[in-house]
Amino acid sequence: MFAGFVLLDKLKSSILPDVVKLISPLLLVLLLTAPATAGPPQRPDFPQGVSTTNPGSDLWREVRQRDLPVTGISQVKGVDSGVLINVQGDRWARFRIDNLVRHAPTVLIAVVLVLLAFYVLRGKVGIEGGLSGRMVHRFTDYERILHWCLAIVFLFLAITGLILLLGRTLMIPLFGHHLFSLMASASKEGHNLFGPIFLVSLMLMLVSFARRNIYEKGDLTWLLKGGGFIGKGHVSGGFFNMGEKSWYWLVILVGLAISISGLILVLPNFGQGRVIMAVSHVVHVFGSILLIAVAIGHMYLGSIGTEGSSEGMKSGYVDINWAEAHHDRWAKTCHKNDEIISAEEFARLHGRPVESNDSTTGAG
Amino acid sequence: MIEYLIDGPLWYFSLAVFCIGVLWQLARIVFAKSKTDLSVARGSASSGAIRNVFSRFVPHREIAPHIGVQLVAGYMFHLGLFALLFFAAPHVIFLEENLLGFGWTPMPHWAFIVASQFAFFGLILLWLRRMLNSVSRLISTLDDHVATILTFVVMLTGCLALLKGHSELRLLHRFTVELLLIYFPFSCLMHTFTFIPSRAFTGAWFGRRGIDA
Repeated sequence: MFAGFVLLDKLKSSILPDVVKLISPLLLVLLLTAPATAGPPQRPDFPQGVSTTNPGSDLWREVRQRDLPVTGISQVKGVDSGVLINVQGDRWARFRIDNLVRHAPTVLIAVVLVLLAFYVLRGKVGIEGGLSGRMVHRFTDYERILHWCLAIVFLFLAITGLILLLGRTLMIPLFGHHLFSLMASASKEGHNLFGPIFLVSLMLMLVSFARRNIYEKGDLTWLLKGGGFIGKGHVSGGFFNMGEKSWYWLVILVGLAISISGLILVLPNFGQGRVIMAVSHVVHVFGSILLIAVAIGHMYLGSIGTEGSSEGMKSGYVDINWAEAHHDRWAKTCHKNDEIISAEEFARLHGRPVESNDSTTGAG
Repeated sequence: MIEYLIDGPLWYFSLAVFCIGVLWQLARIVFAKSKTDLSVARGSASSGAIRNVFSRFVPHREIAPHIGVQLVAGYMFHLGLFALLFFAAPHVIFLEENLLGFGWTPMPHWAFIVASQFAFFGLILLWLRRMLNSVSRLISTLDDHVATILTFVVMLTGCLALLKGHSELRLLHRFTVELLLIYFPFSCLMHTFTFIPSRAFTGAWFGRRGIDA
């Protein structure tokens, strides 16, 4: 330690002053020129900081944009575990935001507006001669339970699904982040839980109604006449007309597509990769929006759109005049088999008060 | 404030109403006066009671084809609800920490989901049948509908709160549970406690008279 201090004193006294004298002008030049050579000139409106390129950019660019396959080798065993960046993922995310989220509300609002305009222009589609009060059995308890079960579950899934799809865009501005987060969390759990119930209901619906929904001779005529909306008078139909049959098969086929794609999304542990998940998501949303849009039309026609339609799914019976107007071939069979009951009998069967109306007292 | 009310006073109040109410209703049944049966016994009342308790789990062959929906949906709902109530992990933890001091092995998450789907599907079918079958609708009371809706809401809020990310959803579930507990003793939901004694009583009556039913 002592020897070190002695050596330092010797240096100070011998060569250090000469060295300092020698490098001083050089240091001065360096200090004066430093700002010009170290980087771009500092501007007062720019934030002060170090401007440098991310050293990882080239690496990630090479991973993502190279012409070679993007899948590498990894010690981790799993689906897509060798993929550092999923190139398709960004494309799917953009498609979701730019197309699905943007156009889905437009489609649904357009359907509602078209129906509203139709109702204003055409009004409720009535029955010639009005309702007779004489009824004929159309749907069993089991069939109606199935229908309403599917309808309730479908509505629940539609509402929760739309919250998940459109919530960030439509709900955050209205309710704020916290309430949306709460509703999205609840919707996600509810949607995943009720999805399989929809599938089971759909399968039961397929078994119960398929036979009567097979297309037959005469259905094409119904289609060509636009279900009676083109031209005058009602067109001929069997137990189900062409429109109802088409709605039924749409529900079954699109419902199946929605259910299967939903299961792929909700059960990611069965080996499906990200691309399959992205495609499933697009199918799921497309199918759902289509089904919701047509379901709005179905609800309109089954309630305020057509006189006497809702009774079939409420009590299981329909008015014979309604049957003759919309399903004349089936109505003929009912007449032939003497299946028509009087208004009094219908009221007695359903515990309803009997209305004293002359038009409802005709014998079956 | 609301959190304190739901987790504190309202919870203890509803629990007290439930316990006292159920005990009161059961005591009323036990101590109800009935006429002494002076007839000569033609069979064993005890064996009749036991037989009736178990035989009623399966419908008579003659009526089974006509009550398919109630039978299947009824079992789906009740078994699903039983599994949810006593074997769902959040419930087991809650019972252990707040009421019993001990717990048991809960069912796995996938079983929880399946049980809740069974319960929901069953309850929806049962309620729809009540509404759509003309006879069922006529004999149903407001109590039946309130009990069904309340049970459905309790199950739904519970499942919506599964993610545990929001205390509001948990509070909503707990609040509906408290409403159910208060409503329970004064409603048709009491059949949870009375269906076994009811079957036993009827079975004993049948057994004593030698009725094979």
